[in-house]
Amino acid sequence: MAEACQIARKQDLPPPGGYKPIPFKRLPAKQYFSGYAMFAGYAGMTLVSIYLYNLTCKKITKNEIEMRSAKMAIYPMLLAERDREYLKQLRRNRDAEAELMRDVPGWEVGTYYGERVYKLLPPDALVEPIFHEYYAHSSPTEWFKRAYIKLQS
Amino acid sequence: MVLTNDVVLPEESELTVEEVNLSTATLRAGSFHLGKYCEKANNEFMLCRIEEQDPRKCINEGKVVTACTLDFFRKVKKACVAEFNQYANCLDKSSGDFGLQHCRKTQGVFDKCMLENLNLERPPFGYFCEARVHDTKRPKPAVEEKAVYPDATPTLPDDAERKPARFGSRLYWMTE
Repeated sequence: MAEACQIARKQDLPPPGGYKPIPFKRLPAKQYFSGYAMFAGYAGMTLVSIYLYNLTCKKITKNEIEMRSAKMAIYPMLLAERDREYLKQLRRNRDAEAELMRDVPGWEVGTYYGERVYKLLPPDALVEPIFHEYYAHSSPTEWFKRAYIKLQS
Repeated sequence: MVLTNDVVLPEESELTVEEVNLSTATLRAGSFHLGKYCEKANNEFMLCRIEEQDPRKCINEGKVVTACTLDFFRKVKKACVAEFNQYANCLDKSSGDFGLQHCRKTQGVFDKCMLENLNLERPPFGYFCEARVHDTKRPKPAVEEKAVYPDATPTLPDDAERKPARFGSRLYWMTE
C-alpha cells in the first residue's frame, strides 16, 4: 500500500504558484456622464434645436399663409362653377327618378308614396341630398372616384 | 329622393354659361392679381352664399364672378402672355403642391409686367386670409326667430337666488 503512494501519477493539482485571488468585489457599470452632465446636455440640445427651428419656422408659416391666400382668391370662381353643375345634376336626378318610377302606382317624385320626407320644412325648401343619393343614378365608379379623390391626386 | 316637384330648380339654360377652362397651375399663377381685380364680384358672391345658405339664390352673382375671371385672363393674354406662361410653367414643374416659394424670380418678372401694362399691384401675401368688409345693396335675409310656446314649462324668474355650485365645476368629470 505504501508503494502505491510513491509512483508518480498525473494528478489534478493547482497551478504552480497557486490560484490567483477570486475577485468578489462589486463592479458597477461605467458611467460616461454624471447626472448633472446629462441634464446639461439635454438643456443644451433643446436650446440649440429651438434656435434652429425658429430660423425656418417663420419662413414656413409665411409660405403656408401665402398658399392659403392664393387658394382663397380662386375659391369663389370654383364655387360658382360647382354650384351651377350641382344644380344641373339635381335636375337630372329628379328627371331620372320620374322616369324610373313612372309606372309605379302611388309614387310621387321626391316623396315616399306621397308622404313627404321633411314634414316641418316648407315644401319648396332645398334640402341638399346626401352623397349616395346624389350619385344614385350614375355608375358606382363615379361616387368611388369622388369619395377617394385623395388617392388619385 | 327629397327633391319634389315643388322644389324650384333653375333651368339648364339659366345655368349654362361660358366656363373658365384653365388648369390649376394657371389659376394659381394668376390667383393674387385675379383676386385683386375681381374683389368686388368675389366678395358679393361669397357674402350672398354665406348669408342665404342656398346655391339657387346666388346664381347671378356666380355668373358675374365667372365673367370677371374670364375678362381678367383675356386681359392677361393680351398684355403679358409670355411672362404669365413662364410663371405658370415654373409653378407647375417646381414642386408637387404648386408652392409659390420656389418661383420668386419668374414671379418678379410677371409682377413687373402686370404693374406696367395693367396697373395691377400684387396684394400682400396674407391679404386674402384676412376678413374683409363688404357693402352691398342686397337686403339681409330674415333671421328665424326663436319660437315661443304659450304652454311651455316656466323657468326660474330672473331675480331668483342662484347659489354657487356645491362641488365646483362638473367639467372635471367631462368624459365620464
